[in-house]
Amino acid sequence: MKKKIQKMASLFLAAAVGMSILVECSASDASSVLASSESVISAETEGEEVLPGSTPRNETLYFAGQQWGTINDWNPLSSNSNNSMGVAQQDMARALVYEPMFLYNNLDGKLYPLLGKEWSWNDDQTEMTIKLNPDAKWSDGTPVTSEDVAYTFEVHKKYNTGFGIDYAAYIDTIVPKDSNTVVIKAKLGKDGKAVNPLKVLDYIPKVYVLQKAYIQNVEKRNNNQEDGVKTDKMEDFVSSGPYTAYYDDDQKVVLVRDDNYWGQADSMWGALPAPKYIAHPIYKDNSAGQIAFSKGEIDIAQMFITDIQKFWEEDNLPITTYLDEPPYGVGTMIPTCFYNTRISGLDQVAVRKAIAMAVDYDHIIATAMSNQSATFEQVPRSVMNTTDAEQALVDQDRLKDLQFGNDVEAAKKILDDAGITDHDGDGIREYDGKNLSFTAECPDGWTDWMAALEDVAKAGQNIGIDIQTNYPDTNTFTENYSTGNFEICINNATGSSVSCPWQRCMVLMYSGYADLKTNTLGNWSGFKNKEADEILAKIPYEQDQAKLKDYYTRLSEIYLTEVPSFALMYRPQAFYNVNESVWTNYPMNDDGNNIPPTVCTDGYGIAGLYQLQLVK
Amino acid sequence: MNTIRQVFRSAKFVTGFVIFIAIILLTILFPLFITYDPLDVVGNGNFYPPGTYISQKDTIKANPYELRIALKQSNVGDSLKTDELDKIKEWLTQYGGMGKSEVQDADAESLIVMWTDKYNPSKRFRGMLASEQKYYKRLNQKLTELLTDKDIIIAEQDENNELKEKSKVKSSDFVNLKEISNKRTLVLGTDNFGRDVLRELVSATTTSLRIGLIAGVVATAIGLTLGLLAGYLGGFIDDLILFITNLFTVIPSFVLLILISYSVGQKQRGVGLVALIIGITSWTWTTRAVRSQVISLRNRDHVNLSKLSGHSSFKIIMTDILPYIASYVVMAFILQVSSGILSEAQLSMLGLGPATTSTATLGLMMNWAMLYSAHLNGSWWAYFPVLFMIAMISFSLNLMNTGLDQVFNPQLRD
Repeated sequence: MKKKIQKMASLFLAAAVGMSILVECSASDASSVLASSESVISAETEGEEVLPGSTPRNETLYFAGQQWGTINDWNPLSSNSNNSMGVAQQDMARALVYEPMFLYNNLDGKLYPLLGKEWSWNDDQTEMTIKLNPDAKWSDGTPVTSEDVAYTFEVHKKYNTGFGIDYAAYIDTIVPKDSNTVVIKAKLGKDGKAVNPLKVLDYIPKVYVLQKAYIQNVEKRNNNQEDGVKTDKMEDFVSSGPYTAYYDDDQKVVLVRDDNYWGQADSMWGALPAPKYIAHPIYKDNSAGQIAFSKGEIDIAQMFITDIQKFWEEDNLPITTYLDEPPYGVGTMIPTCFYNTRISGLDQVAVRKAIAMAVDYDHIIATAMSNQSATFEQVPRSVMNTTDAEQALVDQDRLKDLQFGNDVEAAKKILDDAGITDHDGDGIREYDGKNLSFTAECPDGWTDWMAALEDVAKAGQNIGIDIQTNYPDTNTFTENYSTGNFEICINNATGSSVSCPWQRCMVLMYSGYADLKTNTLGNWSGFKNKEADEILAKIPYEQDQAKLKDYYTRLSEIYLTEVPSFALMYRPQAFYNVNESVWTNYPMNDDGNNIPPTVCTDGYGIAGLYQLQLVK
Repeated sequence: MNTIRQVFRSAKFVTGFVIFIAIILLTILFPLFITYDPLDVVGNGNFYPPGTYISQKDTIKANPYELRIALKQSNVGDSLKTDELDKIKEWLTQYGGMGKSEVQDADAESLIVMWTDKYNPSKRFRGMLASEQKYYKRLNQKLTELLTDKDIIIAEQDENNELKEKSKVKSSDFVNLKEISNKRTLVLGTDNFGRDVLRELVSATTTSLRIGLIAGVVATAIGLTLGLLAGYLGGFIDDLILFITNLFTVIPSFVLLILISYSVGQKQRGVGLVALIIGITSWTWTTRAVRSQVISLRNRDHVNLSKLSGHSSFKIIMTDILPYIASYVVMAFILQVSSGILSEAQLSMLGLGPATTSTATLGLMMNWAMLYSAHLNGSWWAYFPVLFMIAMISFSLNLMNTGLDQVFNPQLRD
């Protein structure tokens, strides 16, 4: 009897040891889930002990997948703000708290009015005139004027912010014409033409307009010191957006609607956004967020979810995506595998092309992306993303013969023809007497990229090129690629902005980036091609669609022939998974409203907040 | 010989031994019969569930047999679940303009008639959840498929791209599974890369056992050598070795393991090296235990007798001390193997194990299953068998160890 008990005990112990591995990784999930469900419960049982910052569930729109730590400031001039709900000046700026002049819509590639009502170029594209919406007001009730717009740019320039440095090269000044009209004067080159009209246009949907009076106040309290202004927390900020700060700690960030928001004027939205509060619980990782999302504690989850269709097909949950069928979203970003062409072996087009040819892209899309990307049969390779707006700018017929993928034999043949063969019989081909052996890297934890990289490594194995994968942490990875200290890496080619696809072509091919010491801008391949540079220089001045189409097609030809890098898959700007437990009427593909699936916060996607309804 | 017989009389040892041998046999025999590469990608998708997959084309081409048996789901109404019927009722009253009484008592057949009459898949309904619209679309799809009682026509495309009827598939047509040549049974489904989990699991077990054995040998060898030296020689050498041992004991060995693995870099990190790293970070307890045992043996009569007879230290250690602690060393070795396997699993889960494309290990399988959240979307086959295997290996080893302990330790003998 005693023996039996002992036996049972040892069995239990052994099983427990095995289980501990699993528990180790899921324990943290459970605890954060617990934390979030607590807040929900407390919101429902009002009157009892109420947690700080808790809000009624049916007035709150919950997000996940955007904010990963306690927020550090509300400062749009800061270069290291992590406040992703409040301060996100990007190609499609997040317009919840601060607002840019225009909202970009990546579905049709057009700009929609916000603080700015309309914009127009003069004939030679040197001056852009912008009419502001006279109804626009700051949260302190004062009107948004041309002075504010002009001063914002001046401040960026004065304190050398990222935007200041970037745009000062293209914008000379912004001058107020009258209280509701500003003129952006482009910087002129020696030939009297604007340096780059596209970059001028790029400014207006990206950079927030700040209040002159408030910024002057911030400058004053920091004695006009650059460091002081850029690191000011700005907790007393004045902004023009529909939401403002409500509560934040290490568990969540909550924004509250400004019920005096100017946008309820008929000249703008004509109403207030539906949710009174916007909340973002801070989770440790995606799994924790995914559990909360499936339980309906999160309304919009911006995260990659494996086999998303199981939510509705098997679990019958009220969860949907922008499209009913794969790829479920709109692929606007292109995760791209960059070769370092400065390295012996990778300086050979044959090697680059052979690896790219041997990769099994269908497998990457089906497994690494869990079918959440269009295939390269649906959207063939070029320098474009999958939107109709961009595809209209390329002649796919001309690129037909340049397509590649999943063709190991052809890849081997290219290498054989180039004389890159295996001389010493170790199964790995040599170039210049040395084995072709490379390390391919991407940040640890970026699962879709990691899995895709494994497929690249496998492709190498199949054609006799040794490729090992490496997953450093994000900071190390950023340092590696920006200093050129890598062999093969994955990085994003610019998603969608008003200056795309030109901007993306720059990232893929512009030789001016190649020799930068620290390169965060693009062309990490270090690729140089004279013809590509010439075309890239011409595009910003070109307005004729037919000519642009020709330019972009030629760029695609160069790109697909020289293969300085190659696209692995298409990825949405933001993963847009919505749970209709509390809110409904989210922007969807077939609703005819032309609102992009940018999680109801970014660019013109914010229009989605005005059509949300509570589930009855 | 007598000892071995005694050992095999211990039920615990025998149970552990049998399980362990079974696992080893599995790793040896399985690859003999199933010969394809464990890292071969079979499925083009994440986590295909376990089952037998047969070629759809083959079933169409295969010789049809007519069977006169009652078919499942021959009746449309039967094949709908009650919640689906409820959903149809709900839709008919809310959006289809039907009265509650008309719908409430209607049977499945008449409900479906009403549904096909009213439902229009391209119409959007105001106020309906987008997920519900999609649900009804799917339901409608299912119904249309069920309702089309017609035979499925197999057609071929001729030169003019026109479809020509080739044959018909009736609902009473069956194929004999034996006649289908293209099939694959995936007992444990596929993982996130679409690899056969069972084949991968066997290969991973082999790797893990190898890692465990190498790590165990290395750790036991280092621990034993240092322990014997420290215990027998004593004095300064004892102090020195003890100092080093204490140093390594204080630093948590797993942290050390992570640091070393990280600094080695991914490129060099093969199975052998990972095993070696695990081995050289886990020898301390063996050293301490062996040392204390040797100290107690050092002054026994037979040792002193050997000393007086002028035997060399080496000979004394080998013939007069080692045999007395051999049983302990074997037990320590078994524990080292078991912990080596667990260490590899933990390392690989942190992404510090061997490379994914070159080998399968239990830890790597767990790592990728977690990265693709198999534990959240119900794909148990991707991680549970791995956990079970790890548990079985360490269980059998521990059981053997307890069995041995009972035989050798007089205090535990019953």
